[in-house]
Amino acid sequence: MSAPPLRLVTVDLAAVRHNIYTLGTLVDGPHVMAVVKANAYGHGAVPVAKAALAAGATYLGVADVTEALELRAAGITAPILAWLHDAEPNFDAAYDAEIDLGISSVEQLQSLSRTSARGENTIRFNSRAAVVHLKIDTGLGRNGALDSQWEELFELAEQREGEGLITVRGIFSHLSNTSDEEDVKQLAVFNGAVAMAREAGLNPEFRHLASTAAAIRLPETRLDMVRIGIGMYGLSPFFLQSSAELGLRPAMTLESRVIAVKTVPADTGVSYGYSYRTERESTLALVALGYADGIPRRGSNGAPVFIGGKTYRVAGRIAMDQLVVDLGSDTAEVGDRAVLFGDPALGFPAADDWASAADTINYEIVTRLGDRFERRYQS
Amino acid sequence: MSPIPPDEEFGPDRTKAATPERMAHIDMDMFKANVVMLRELVAPAGVMLAVKANGYGHGMIPMAWAALQAGAESLAVLDIPAALELRAAGVNAPVFAWMHDPDADFSAAADADIDLGISAIWQLDAIAAAGSRIAPRVHLKIDTGLSRNGATAVDWPDLVRAAMAADAAGSVTLYAAWSHLADASPADDAVALAKFHEAVDVAKALGATFSKLHIAASSAGIRMPEARLDFVRFGIAAYGISPFDDATGRDLDLGPVMTLSARVASVKRVPAGQGVSYGYLHRTEQESSLALVPLGYADGIPRFATGKARVMLNGKQYPIAGRIAMDQFVIDVGDDPVSPGDHVIIFSQGWLGEPTAEDWASFAGTIGDEIVARIGHRVVRRYIGVGHDIDTGLWEPGYNC
Repeated sequence: MSAPPLRLVTVDLAAVRHNIYTLGTLVDGPHVMAVVKANAYGHGAVPVAKAALAAGATYLGVADVTEALELRAAGITAPILAWLHDAEPNFDAAYDAEIDLGISSVEQLQSLSRTSARGENTIRFNSRAAVVHLKIDTGLGRNGALDSQWEELFELAEQREGEGLITVRGIFSHLSNTSDEEDVKQLAVFNGAVAMAREAGLNPEFRHLASTAAAIRLPETRLDMVRIGIGMYGLSPFFLQSSAELGLRPAMTLESRVIAVKTVPADTGVSYGYSYRTERESTLALVALGYADGIPRRGSNGAPVFIGGKTYRVAGRIAMDQLVVDLGSDTAEVGDRAVLFGDPALGFPAADDWASAADTINYEIVTRLGDRFERRYQS
Repeated sequence: MSPIPPDEEFGPDRTKAATPERMAHIDMDMFKANVVMLRELVAPAGVMLAVKANGYGHGMIPMAWAALQAGAESLAVLDIPAALELRAAGVNAPVFAWMHDPDADFSAAADADIDLGISAIWQLDAIAAAGSRIAPRVHLKIDTGLSRNGATAVDWPDLVRAAMAADAAGSVTLYAAWSHLADASPADDAVALAKFHEAVDVAKALGATFSKLHIAASSAGIRMPEARLDFVRFGIAAYGISPFDDATGRDLDLGPVMTLSARVASVKRVPAGQGVSYGYLHRTEQESSLALVPLGYADGIPRFATGKARVMLNGKQYPIAGRIAMDQFVIDVGDDPVSPGDHVIIFSQGWLGEPTAEDWASFAGTIGDEIVARIGHRVVRRYIGVGHDIDTGLWEPGYNC
């Protein structure tokens, strides 16, 4: 490879390993599930999954069966849990590929049978049982069984286990991160569900509830396994604590290059609507990234860009394919690197800075990147 | 397309199961109708149709073919790699690319006869150095106020001289002069247009001749007839989204091309006071049914639309309940019937009162362009329209007339 690509995402797999190791050490005992859904939050599912496993994660988590099958197709043999299923999910393919299934309802559990009433979602079982994790809604109001369904769910699960069709390997829920108080309430609800499951004769090996935020802040939620998503990518789940304060290293660096440089007089309008005007004679650098690449248009007029050793601000509206940076009295050359975010320890702006400029969270900044980027991996 | 046995195609369950979980329907007939309408609006000026950014999220290659079918004379992409993709797909019409990095493959561009937008002398030098047998047509760009690409008035005469020299040397064919408007206000755009004509006069005084002049994109193409010149570069309007704050696509007789939908993944009955999604921004007022929809900000549903966005389900509109998450959002349907597999319309053409991409732009504090261009690749594109393959959007053999 000669020239760097015009739109580049570099993922530092050493940072991924560091973060998994750091959080694994912090939680001290429970297993670590590395959550690589949504193409590993935009980082690339397969390389991130492999790095996480190398650093001690024992489980992988994805949203749906399609994502799980992509990991299997890449030769990954570690346990994988998929929990967000279509109304008519492809459980048969998941069974064949030995994917653990998150089961949120009696209806989903019923479809894990030799023959269903509608003749679909039927697994062609061999001697092996399908591995399931029962999902409990402890307050988030998304997936998961509510308390009114628990008894029926657990009894049916116990019956299916007895028939040798399934193994209930896990029981899990997801916190709302509304407040520590609410999260602790959810933990109590969860513990109640676990007790009821045990009474029904189930003996799940993995109770898991915490994702990154609770794994760090609420030790009592760590249970048998924590699901680490955002923290693995080196980003903080908290508004008031940075990656560095948590001992994490941001894995993603997002950059493009300067494709034009021009000097303009004071009071020159910049980009659509002239929402920015130069205060004085100024050098403007054009950078080849825009909202079609997932750079949020709400970051217009203010989001940071690092060029030639300094951080400047986006001037004017971010357009579909390009943005302008006001370098003031500094200058730049066509071809210079323009880093939108990376590891602040290296002097780059943080994904968090882009999140606050765009009124959102760092998760959305990294996850919604478009298809025009080339992804490169540093091991 | 591989044939589907009729019983499977028409069986009630199979049709549902064959429907992807997350879908963007692209209405090819609507797109072509928009292109035809815009063409007639600006005639005798011609139409260059912008299919950059993967056809504004609709799919570059099918939209390119459809635009040409509807009478666009040429296509605009952003950069050389995209232009080469169109050539590789067999598109022979003029293709215009104008954003170049220092390592751009000008040699391949020249060989493929791509029209090149030129903003700086180094680009002319790079074309000459590439040494293609074909002298590509170049469009010289003058910055008339947007402060992005384009030569400043100070640099313009040198750029023109360099282009004339390159033309004389046979490395390029000097073809057009162009610019791009800032859509700041009619007065600002009039100033920019005047600057453009001044720059063209400067070039003519230097001895340059241009076969084509172009400056207008969708907004000026529609509202500023004097800016239409030889052709208009239509982008967003052709996709049925208004370029204006004060008029919808519908007001402009444009029909939205993309419909975004998903199927309800699960439904649950919850008691009053149930919190929904991160931070419990929504709590149910009474016992209620919650429907989980498998679309989130990883798919391009803007998280910032939380608290404002609404969607349509079974003919009725519902607000999104609680935070939009990475892979999912929830709607609170109260006591209305809803089943897993039901279709949820996120945005469509608006005829039934459902939100449009423009409505989503206002939910998310942005413009419709960003809404459609950002729809992610977990969303399956399906093309509808007579003669178009449902999966690829390409014109099927046998429909030629």
